[in-house]
Amino acid sequence: MDKSYRIFTTISIVCALLIIAAFFAGCTTSQPTTKPVTTPPATTAPVQSMTTTVVSTPAPTTVVPPTTTAVVVTSTPVPNYTPSEKTLIVYTAASLKGVSGKLGTEFSQAYPGHTAVFNLDGTQALKTQVENGAYADVFISASNSYTNTLKGEGYFMNSTVKPLTTNYVIVILPATNPGNIKTLADLAKPGVKIAMEDKTVPAGTATYAVLANLAKSTYNQDWNKSVFSNVVTYETSEPGVATKVSLGEVDAGFVYESTYTAAPKDTYSAITIPKADNYLQTYTIGVMQQTQNSGTAQEFEDFMLSSIGQQILKDYGFRPVS
Amino acid sequence: MTRSFLEPNNLLRTLTVIGAAGLIILVTLYLALPVAALFFRTTPELFFSSLSDADVQSALRLSLITSVISLGIVILVGTPFAYIHCRNTYPGKMIVDTLIDLPLVLPPAVAGVALLVLYGRVGLIGRYLNIFGITLAFTTVAVIMAQIFVASPFYLRQAKSLFEQLDPAYEQTARTLGASAFRIFITITIPLTASGLVSGAVMTFGRALGEFGATIMFAGNLPGVTQTMPLAVYVGMEGNFNIGLTISILLVLISFAIMIAVRFLASREVQHA
Repeated sequence: MDKSYRIFTTISIVCALLIIAAFFAGCTTSQPTTKPVTTPPATTAPVQSMTTTVVSTPAPTTVVPPTTTAVVVTSTPVPNYTPSEKTLIVYTAASLKGVSGKLGTEFSQAYPGHTAVFNLDGTQALKTQVENGAYADVFISASNSYTNTLKGEGYFMNSTVKPLTTNYVIVILPATNPGNIKTLADLAKPGVKIAMEDKTVPAGTATYAVLANLAKSTYNQDWNKSVFSNVVTYETSEPGVATKVSLGEVDAGFVYESTYTAAPKDTYSAITIPKADNYLQTYTIGVMQQTQNSGTAQEFEDFMLSSIGQQILKDYGFRPVS
Repeated sequence: MTRSFLEPNNLLRTLTVIGAAGLIILVTLYLALPVAALFFRTTPELFFSSLSDADVQSALRLSLITSVISLGIVILVGTPFAYIHCRNTYPGKMIVDTLIDLPLVLPPAVAGVALLVLYGRVGLIGRYLNIFGITLAFTTVAVIMAQIFVASPFYLRQAKSLFEQLDPAYEQTARTLGASAFRIFITITIPLTASGLVSGAVMTFGRALGEFGATIMFAGNLPGVTQTMPLAVYVGMEGNFNIGLTISILLVLISFAIMIAVRFLASREVQHA
């Protein structure tokens, strides 16, 4: 009795393990494999495992209720899109949130039967998602350095990577200007609350550069230090800063000019930054190596670079590539 | 007499054992593998070198301090509240009951928005606080407020059910012997419900430690002031992957430490009783 019982349990456990192994093997092979063409050289880059695709970390959803302004921030969780001929998945820098609706409609009109679905998030978040196996057909990046990193890691079809549009940094204030800020010098006043993007966000890198330039040319390092000590939050996307400003919870925020231009009148006041000190952010667009709709993806890129796409961007406050 | 396991009776039993074993292994792996994967993704050298990073240390310190304070407030205020709530009927008790459970189902980000809209500088109450120079949004106090909001249901529900299940005979006997209500609460009610309250406190602490959505919305993200460990993980995963990974592992280790401590405390309680 004992012996046969032991045999049962051994065989049961072996069968159970086999079933589970088969289950996991089935799971991993059905995922779209997104291995890079060239393995990442840097030791700090995440090592790609050979047999399993690491499912990207879902980005938590930050949802803000629509205020009276047009600025609505949504950070979408990583969707598991199934590639299809009709629908294009475009990973887009968050600062294109306002214009993405119009771009989508116009694209569908220009290429009937095709739709573009935008996954909007900070470029740094999108880059991490792609590097961890997320599927995208087209990637619009707000940062040249992130684009170059992804190119180096083999995620882009490098020949398709082109500059798309540009954007300057501007300081926005709530319409009521609770902090009574009239000039850039006022940003250093004690008690002023400033919202800025985190330095990993392209808009954040741009802001840091702008502040350094201003400190060097016009104001001094003390001004620079005071401004940073007035920062109350480092947001993880550019629209996040715009929301905090529009809610009136901070006195000033650093965003892209396009956000200010495209917002409804009387949402924000603004203080422009002299061009000489400003940082011109260049957005790039490129087709992903892993795309299964390379034809449609190329059509989308052509559309974005065409006079129609460029005009839409211009209408929403973006500048043309010089 | 030994029988083959392929015989009809034993076949059913064999299949049941396989199914049970499979189920247990599946659940265990589903919970354990992701945690294990964290450790496999880094090396001990990378982990220990990341520990000395200023952001990691400030996030760790901030998280622990705020979670402990949140827990303290929830216990100090929540225990008497739960006791009074259970032992008495009052108009609106049903509504209060529902409200206690509300933060459990409310998405944390919504909680954060709600707190911001109420206590923010232009908020419903916040605007009056602002006149007196009191700011709540984007401060460490906001972190604690957010944590209390989302984590208190865990303790309150536990305390409520414990006090409801406690046989009132003990308290009534003490009353007949002349003990005051306060003395009864301290010497009879609490010791009898202690182990349950501790487990509720542990869940509350864990929830407060892991709070993200309400914190980033109401308190913002400022290293050293409001950047708790979950926020640091989120920001780190996008910029400095190793930092994000290190903080994730730290959170796992802290969680394990808490659970082991609770198991130890709980087992001692049983022996005592």
